Amino acid sequence: MAVTDNRPFFLNLLKIRLPVTGFVSILHRISGMLMFLAIPFSVYLFDLSLQGHDGFHRTVEILQAPILQLISLLLLWSLIHHFFAGIRYLLMDFEIGLDKKQAIQYAWAVFVIEAVVFVLLAMEIFL
Amino acid sequence: MSSPGLQGLRPWIIQRVSAVYIAFYVLYLFIIFMTTNPLNASDWSAWVAAPHNNISIGLFLIAVLWHAWIGVRDIVLDYVPNVVGRLLVLTIVGCIILGSALWGFKALFTVIV
Repeated sequence: MAVTDNRPFFLNLLKIRLPVTGFVSILHRISGMLMFLAIPFSVYLFDLSLQGHDGFHRTVEILQAPILQLISLLLLWSLIHHFFAGIRYLLMDFEIGLDKKQAIQYAWAVFVIEAVVFVLLAMEIFL
Repeated sequence: MSSPGLQGLRPWIIQRVSAVYIAFYVLYLFIIFMTTNPLNASDWSAWVAAPHNNISIGLFLIAVLWHAWIGVRDIVLDYVPNVVGRLLVLTIVGCIILGSALWGFKALFTVIV
């Protein structure tokens, strides 16, 4: 049975053009994964920061290293994206924003809100 | 491929309950840190040692680690197709989660004694 099927079949992630809802979804995973990977080091820093005067200052020193400022910025974005995308998923559990048009609107809303909050918080924290 | 004990309603509901606690607690932390002057070492230790903070941070730690376990587990089940690979990766992830839990609670405990 020969069926001609011209639909493209590929799994190359760079070739798949995701809809905006798909971007929210994959970034929810990526941001979650980044934060998971940061947990052990964060716990280490939390412990260190509680070890008296020296530990506290060592922690501040570590966090002020340029590479860690950059990582902190990435984790701040991860947290903000995960937060707002997560709220969107919780709303979906209550059947809010489920139809296609609304799903797309809410996905855009996530990106707009996260961009604004990220810029505001990044300026507040890092400047 | 099914993975007994790794699917179903229980992790689904834990993921959502933990998400709500984490969301509110992160908001609380942001508000606290944005409205408080830069801390010094003893203020910070005292803040973490205060019972309501010590306990709520402990709950936060449990919520985050449980949430992370379920989330990472879902990703692993999606992208690692074979049983041996899953077992290996999930074992490593589980060790990171439990190790972080022990370390975090050690930090929370030592600051109050």
